[in-house]
Amino acid sequence: MNTYWLAPALACYALSAAGFAMERAGLRGRLARWASVLLGGGAALQTGDLILRGIQAGNVPVTNFAQSLIFLAWLTAIAGLVLIVRFRMPVIGVYVAPIVFVVLGVESATMRQARLVMPQSLRSAWLPVHVTFALLGYALFVLAAGVSLVYLVYEKRLKAKRPLLPTDERTPSLEKLDRINYRLLGWGFLMLSLAIVTGAIWADATWGHFWSWEPAESWSLIIWILYAGLLESRLTVGWRGRRAAALTIAVFTVLVGSFVGMSLLAPGKHGGNFG
Amino acid sequence: MRETLFIFGVNHRTAPVAVRERLAYGEGEIVAALARLKREAPAIHEVALISTCNRVEILGVTEAGERAQLQATGFLAGDRGVDAAAFGPSLYRHEARAAVRHLFRVGASLDSMVVGEPQILGQLKNAYAQAADAGTAGLVLHRAFHKAFSVAKRVRKATLIGHGSVSVSSAAVGLAAKIFDTLADKTVMLIGAGQMAELTARNLKRLGIQSLLITSRTFDNAVALARKLDGTAVPFDSFHPYLKLADIVIGSVAAAKPVIGPEEFEGVIRERRYRPVFMIDLGVPRNFDQRLNSMENVYLYDIDDLSAVVQESRGEREREAEKAETIVELEVESFLKWLDGLELVPAIKDIRSSVEQLRDLELERHRVWLAGLAPAERERIESLTRGLVNKLLHRILSGIREGRTGVPDGVYAAEIARRLLSADLATEGGVLLDDDGDEDDEL
Repeated sequence: MNTYWLAPALACYALSAAGFAMERAGLRGRLARWASVLLGGGAALQTGDLILRGIQAGNVPVTNFAQSLIFLAWLTAIAGLVLIVRFRMPVIGVYVAPIVFVVLGVESATMRQARLVMPQSLRSAWLPVHVTFALLGYALFVLAAGVSLVYLVYEKRLKAKRPLLPTDERTPSLEKLDRINYRLLGWGFLMLSLAIVTGAIWADATWGHFWSWEPAESWSLIIWILYAGLLESRLTVGWRGRRAAALTIAVFTVLVGSFVGMSLLAPGKHGGNFG
Repeated sequence: MRETLFIFGVNHRTAPVAVRERLAYGEGEIVAALARLKREAPAIHEVALISTCNRVEILGVTEAGERAQLQATGFLAGDRGVDAAAFGPSLYRHEARAAVRHLFRVGASLDSMVVGEPQILGQLKNAYAQAADAGTAGLVLHRAFHKAFSVAKRVRKATLIGHGSVSVSSAAVGLAAKIFDTLADKTVMLIGAGQMAELTARNLKRLGIQSLLITSRTFDNAVALARKLDGTAVPFDSFHPYLKLADIVIGSVAAAKPVIGPEEFEGVIRERRYRPVFMIDLGVPRNFDQRLNSMENVYLYDIDDLSAVVQESRGEREREAEKAETIVELEVESFLKWLDGLELVPAIKDIRSSVEQLRDLELERHRVWLAGLAPAERERIESLTRGLVNKLLHRILSGIREGRTGVPDGVYAAEIARRLLSADLATEGGVLLDDDGDEDDEL
């Protein structure tokens, strides 16, 4: 098992988080730029780690909770970088970098004792597909919640008639934040749907039935329904802006709760690997 | 006498617009005016003319100081047909360091009516281009302008001097940009055809607004403004149904009571499917009920809110201006250093040639003896004397350049060295000849 890459990646994320925070605190300069570079550096190191461990395992290394966390941290970092670079919103780094750091940090604490054993029953072509969809969906939901958080902060400031903060000069408009949130939710929902479908097919192939109402399955269905409702309310009633942002965060809280709860408490086919 | 930069003229602080407009030059007049100025003021070696609505300034390089300025003032009075007494009291003059500082401050928008406004840099670039066209910009002005541009750039990069909004209408537009991503697909509704509302609408149009609804108590006013701004007039007593179309609502009617209240707006919001609405209330008494601001996705700013935004960014700019002044000061220092170095050039040339001449003279005197030497030995003597001369020159010149003479002024120090060294040739020439006689005997 190669964890040499993770310590420096973790350090990159820590420095990145510090950089974003300092930039927010009003210490000027090009801190956000350096923090973004560090975030990218961490993601690159993680890529190396994933490739090495993937080769060792002969598959996507996502067979336990700790590994899922690594993978999730990686996806979140990359999705965050896309937001920072493509959508020019460095402010999201303030949220993404610490989250990635914590997720990977939690992993580092638990990874040591986790053995990389791939049960025979899990050796399937469906594993990487199912898990990648699921974790990609989660990463997108993480960011949707982050964008919503940024939305709420700016919204509040605009309502309170204190819209000017020197560091906010280049922040995207509320309309744009709302649209980004919508797109993240849409893509995340699609990924979650695909994860559930591929999971069902995989279950059918392995155990002979699509659905067995085990906790992880039930919870992912609940979450799927919540996100579906969120998207539906936007499309039909037109709930957007503040309300959509608040709901995004609320649903995400449920997601985090079930993810952590499942992984720590509930045994099942997912084997504490709600991914 | 040494060349110095000077700048003199009037600006928005020293002269009222009545004076400035009489002195101002049109865009197309400047090149020709510079040529005339050069002819009529021979004491000025290099010159540029900066003419904007806030300033008319002549920037020049001269050795003549006072005389150059008198000539330039005379020119300005004659050329513009304005009695010098009319603008004399408004004139300011800066020389040398102060002139460089002034130029840099103008470029960095520290001397502008609205500190940090961006137009001045373009205007300065224009003035430079015209001086270059007229052929009146020389080494010093080229350098001074380029330095002014780079100072302006540095100030903009290192400070937030150009940030924020400094007028109510630009604050409103700035806020619109914080709420909406693009204005191209948005609709603005003017309730009341007030002047500030019109200005704000114009600014919004410039940023892409295409759809404009205008209503006013006097329908004719709405129609007239609609024609001017390419909008659609709506009768005042039936504008409410149109509210759902408006993403930005600007109120400026004289009304004792708010013309839009929260109860009716609830329905509007639902009809709009919660798309955000930016309400700009420029009316006093206020046109929009304050409670609207607490409704979902509605942002209501009244005139005081907007003024507060303006105040805040003005304050911010002033704080940033202090940082900018420090940058300017550093750059002035570095420019003056370059200028000093430039002034040393003629003296350094003389010093070098004096010493070189001394060496040539000595070699010439021993020509016969040198001719008798083997080529290798002759080469040796050549290189020995060259080395000696170069070492000596290096000591003198680097001492002057680096200010190790104990004299504060580099030019003065160079002048002393120059005189001493050329005097060497002139006065000691005779003595050398005497010595030569003895030496010749020995040889």
